[in-house]
Amino acid sequence: MAQEERYDFVIVGGGPNGTAMAAYLGKCGASVCVLEERPESGGACENVEPMPGVHINPHAVYMYAGPAPGFEQLELHKYGFRMNWSPLIETIAKQQEVGVLVSDGVAPITNKDIEGWAKICGIASDPPFIKELLRATHWCPPHPPEVEVTAENIPYMQVYKKHAPDIWTEELLDMTMFDLLDEYCETEPWKVLTAAGAWYSGAAGHYEGVAVPAIAGEALVTVYSGFSVPRGGMHGYFHAIIRCALSHGVVIRTCCPVDEILIENGRAVGVRLRDTATTDEKKVWANKAVISGTGIHPTFLKLINPAHTSSSLRKKVKDISLKGGCCWVSHFLTKEPLMPRAKFLGPGRMEPGEFGGAYPCDSRDIYYEHVADVDGRKGAPSVPPEKLLWMATHSARFPESDPQCTMPGAHVAGPYYTYVPPPDYEAGGPGTIDHKKDEVNAIVRKAVSEVIENLDDDNLIAHFVSTPWESEFRNTGILAGHFGGIRHCADQWAELRPIPELARYRTPIEGLYLCNQTSGHPGALCLMAIPYNLMHILIEDGLVEPGKWWYPSPWYIPQEGKISAALNSNEGESYA
Amino acid sequence: MPEPMMGKIFDEFPDESEWDVIVIGGGPNGLIASAYLAKAGLKVITIERRYEIGGGLATEEILFPGYYSNIHAIYHMMVDYMPVLRDFDLDRHALLWTKPNSQTGMVFEDGKSLLLSRMAEDTKDSMMKFSYTDANAFGKLMWSWRKIVDDILGPATYIPPMSPLDITMAMQKTKIGQEMLELAEQSPLEIITDNFENDRIRALLLYTSCMWGLDPRETGIGMFVALMLQRGSNKCYCEGGSHKLAGAMVREISRYGGKILDTAEVTNILMENGRAIGVQLAEGRTLRAKVIMSTLDPHTTFFDLVGTENLPGDLKESVDGWKYDKWSYYTLHVVSKEPPQYKCDDPWINDAFMNIFGLDGMDQLLSHWDNVVAGKIDMNNFGGHATCESYFDPHLVHSPWGGHVSFFQMHAPYEVEGGWEKVGPELEDAILTKWQKVAPNMTRENIVRKCYETPEGIEIRLPNMRRGAIKHGDYKPIQLGCFRPNQDCSSSATPIEGLYTCGASNYPGGMVLGGSGYIGANKVAEDLGVIKWWKPTKEMERYIKTYLE
Ligand SMILES: Cc1cc2nc3c(=O)[nH]c(=O)nc-3n(C[C@H](O)[C@H](O)[C@H](O)COP(=O)(O)OP(=O)(O)OC[C@H]3O[C@@H](n4cnc5c(N)ncnc54)[C@H](O)[C@@H]3O)c2cc1C
Ligand SMILES: Cc1cc2nc3c(=O)[nH]c(=O)nc-3n(C[C@H](O)[C@H](O)[C@H](O)COP(=O)(O)OP(=O)(O)OC[C@H]3O[C@@H](n4cnc5c(N)ncnc54)[C@H](O)[C@@H]3O)c2cc1C
Repeated sequence: MAQEERYDFVIVGGGPNGTAMAAYLGKCGASVCVLEERPESGGACENVEPMPGVHINPHAVYMYAGPAPGFEQLELHKYGFRMNWSPLIETIAKQQEVGVLVSDGVAPITNKDIEGWAKICGIASDPPFIKELLRATHWCPPHPPEVEVTAENIPYMQVYKKHAPDIWTEELLDMTMFDLLDEYCETEPWKVLTAAGAWYSGAAGHYEGVAVPAIAGEALVTVYSGFSVPRGGMHGYFHAIIRCALSHGVVIRTCCPVDEILIENGRAVGVRLRDTATTDEKKVWANKAVISGTGIHPTFLKLINPAHTSSSLRKKVKDISLKGGCCWVSHFLTKEPLMPRAKFLGPGRMEPGEFGGAYPCDSRDIYYEHVADVDGRKGAPSVPPEKLLWMATHSARFPESDPQCTMPGAHVAGPYYTYVPPPDYEAGGPGTIDHKKDEVNAIVRKAVSEVIENLDDDNLIAHFVSTPWESEFRNTGILAGHFGGIRHCADQWAELRPIPELARYRTPIEGLYLCNQTSGHPGALCLMAIPYNLMHILIEDGLVEPGKWWYPSPWYIPQEGKISAALNSNEGESYA
Repeated sequence: MPEPMMGKIFDEFPDESEWDVIVIGGGPNGLIASAYLAKAGLKVITIERRYEIGGGLATEEILFPGYYSNIHAIYHMMVDYMPVLRDFDLDRHALLWTKPNSQTGMVFEDGKSLLLSRMAEDTKDSMMKFSYTDANAFGKLMWSWRKIVDDILGPATYIPPMSPLDITMAMQKTKIGQEMLELAEQSPLEIITDNFENDRIRALLLYTSCMWGLDPRETGIGMFVALMLQRGSNKCYCEGGSHKLAGAMVREISRYGGKILDTAEVTNILMENGRAIGVQLAEGRTLRAKVIMSTLDPHTTFFDLVGTENLPGDLKESVDGWKYDKWSYYTLHVVSKEPPQYKCDDPWINDAFMNIFGLDGMDQLLSHWDNVVAGKIDMNNFGGHATCESYFDPHLVHSPWGGHVSFFQMHAPYEVEGGWEKVGPELEDAILTKWQKVAPNMTRENIVRKCYETPEGIEIRLPNMRRGAIKHGDYKPIQLGCFRPNQDCSSSATPIEGLYTCGASNYPGGMVLGGSGYIGANKVAEDLGVIKWWKPTKEMERYIKTYLE
């Protein structure tokens, strides 16, 4: 008989959120076990080498987490964390130089564009307040239900009020990002580029009422980290997190899919593993809490026996919108490096090696046509290839000592993303698009060829693709192959993410908490934000007592009748 | 590094740092060495060139998206002996090892088959179909070889090597020892042909004995036939894939304070007054330490990292003379809708961990190997072994399309006549044709995805496997035992103060044996004067008492 497996906390899913949570809890001295379904932890922070020397990143690529308290709190530098800084980090002028890709070449980014952008991002002030702004949008738990959310207490509104009262108006809360850009910036292509960039980072440029979260999502990767990637890719950053967790005694088990969250007397007490799990004991018990690091859908619709939840809750969970971010991810392996057409190159424009960005950014009509196509279910992609909106990650992000390709005589470019409808919503039934994968791939290549002159059959060695459907199967946390799992619209943001009842990471089941991009604020990206935010809640519930290294968010409001996460902390030190 | 426009964003791993021990290479040996020494309280860092640790312990999504394969090591032959699994309690929870009873099948195109099982009586049953005499001979030999392996070869894997003279003297002490010495003098081919009469049985046993790189005609390595047949009938699969063993080691290393730096290539071992004092990385960082342990091949360690100018003359000469493996591997990985169903007289074949096909008898096998050693592949005359990995491991498939992952692997030269660019795809086609002959359901329609890896590919992934050398160096008498990699370095310390070697090119050799890393950790612990928290296994203690005291 195997010994009983019992821990303070059991975490379902070893993605970046579940694992960073484990690191936080381990650092608090708790005993923690993370159960991960796949052969490798890391969720959507992954590297793949499908052919010798060919490195692809099927999901996460860029470092967005720059402002995260987790770097200091978890001391990731001690666990091997390093960056590959891109030259674009140095000045905003460098970012300005590359211009915006439009159908007849490169549209310049004007000074007004940059100044306006710098102003709303908080880098035009002295000292800049961007870090505070970004922490306010992402690194603060939603306010408790008894608190009325107003323009006065929304964290980012407080930051604007303090540092840029000229920007602060109540209307900020009613705007789309396009509205805000129309006010502060000048050229249409620049606005389309940033709106699309925001869409690929969280809230989209056209979503009502989330103008600032959309700007912030984009600023995390542009001005804040200059399109840089960690050494070893996002999986390299993940390694620092997981090794921090391990060094605090966290137990991590891969190939251990959880089939059920065990509930006794209304309380989550542990999990049951699938029979194939690679450990002898198929039940793992939690003294304090079970934390679900997997998607909101599997958590409530698969892992919990329906006897323990109300049908209305299940219905609401089912209705959460997955639209607005399901990625068709391409990498191209070619004999010659991809070369932009002449009209996109030249002095004051991009260098071939720096190629990256969205295309075509001519006007927001193209953007809207894409929305209609993808999320309006016109059927995707039904726009002609020359109008298909796509996004290329910067090819200059790899230094010589961390190359993307070491296969002799070959080059890798990618990921290139384009959005398609969520598999379940496809006209024609779930996964229809997958059955015409070759056809869609050809359309993608045609679309990319609008900018690239040599993506032809002679040059192409391989086109690696992961469709949203495939993404979801290879990573059950990536619901619908969505980069953020569920849409980042105002109705699924902050106090409303994923639904109001679940917004503070607690659930109606005692001892069950949520820690996945789909199940809580701020949603997508490998930010260590959900774990940081959830820490506040676990402290409130008396489940952990962090040491002096902990500091809460300055905008955090404790829930009535709970222990405040702001007590006994070094508050202020790191925000000063 | 450029300064971000907002000033420093966060701390990164320092540009310069100090350690007790630096281990170069995060393969099985490097990880094992690190784990023992970290738990001993030393400040240890493992430096790995790839984005993922594990070296030959790699379970990766090469049939992207959704299908994982064990691209290097899959058959774990020393699980019953490896001290690391016991010292770190690595079964039942962290790792589960399966040892299928049906170990190695051999399927012939006429529908007949042979099956080597974990239980010798099952193997004998199968051999009886071909020869009663061979079946009984096999039973007798395996009975005595099991003792040779259990009492001598198994435990000796984890104890520093002795000189040939010392071995001879030690082995005289017991009857089993004497038997082993007699066996050692013969070549694999002699042992097989002297003891077995049936051609197909001979082919199966010779394949199993020599598949990991023994020269069938070389004398002085006969004891490896006992080892390979005995361990070849006891192969284990690591559930969830071989990489899980690497992951489990990382957990132990981290838990005891050891650190790991990946995507970090060592380009230089720093020397001061003839002493190794640290390493430099391609990215520019430097790390200093009291001890540097390299698990890389001799050329890389001594020529590329230390530099010839820093080597004593005889060391330089011996590294110069180092021979890489006589053959490497070509592996075809496939996703099929159904697992391969072999059409043959024994249903257990479909449960076998490994199935050999393409070879009808011993002469054909020998001529195939001769071709490979001569740099040729004859499309009409080759064979190899296949495994359906997902049959043992449902965790390898994460795709809406379902299906199974399998591979076919064969010996192949690093430099092939015609070049791999041409031979690679031709061979793929020839393999698929051959596979379908023995497993009729492996049709082109059943196979939905495929990719192959050549010896060149192995070297691109792991440059220390030079020329695709999976054991970092050939198995031949002058590169084995205390001569691996040479007499000065085979017990891990090297003539260069502060530098130790403990990878597959050290005694006891390649494969996931966990030997050289363990021996290296013991040596470093002794030299640094730290208390060893571990003890030799029971088998090792018995061996030490019987032969070494
Ligand atoms: C195409 C794409 C591009 C992206 N680009 C970026 C980027 O550039 N930068 C960035 O920061 N972010 C990026 N993201 C977003 C980021 O990858 C995700 O937001 C992040 O990985 C979410 O982390 P998570 O831990 O919440 O979930 P996941 O990463 O999905 O992890 C969940 C984990 O739980 C496991 N699991 C699921 N069910 C079970 C079960 N029943 N039992 C056990 N384990 C289970 C899964 O296997 C998985 O490992 C991108 C995402 C996509 C899809
Ligand atoms: C195709 C194939 C199939 C195999 N099948 C089996 C099998 O079934 N069973 C079995 O037991 N064995 C098998 N092997 C052999 C086994 O994998 C190796 O012998 C074993 O991994 C050697 O272990 P090691 O730790 O000594 O070195 P390795 O596993 O080679 O590890 C060395 C590590 O060093 C790293 N490195 C290289 N250069 C540098 C540098 N400059 N700086 C830092 N790090 C560096 C490498 O990336 C690598 O991770 C197979 C090998 C191959 C290639």
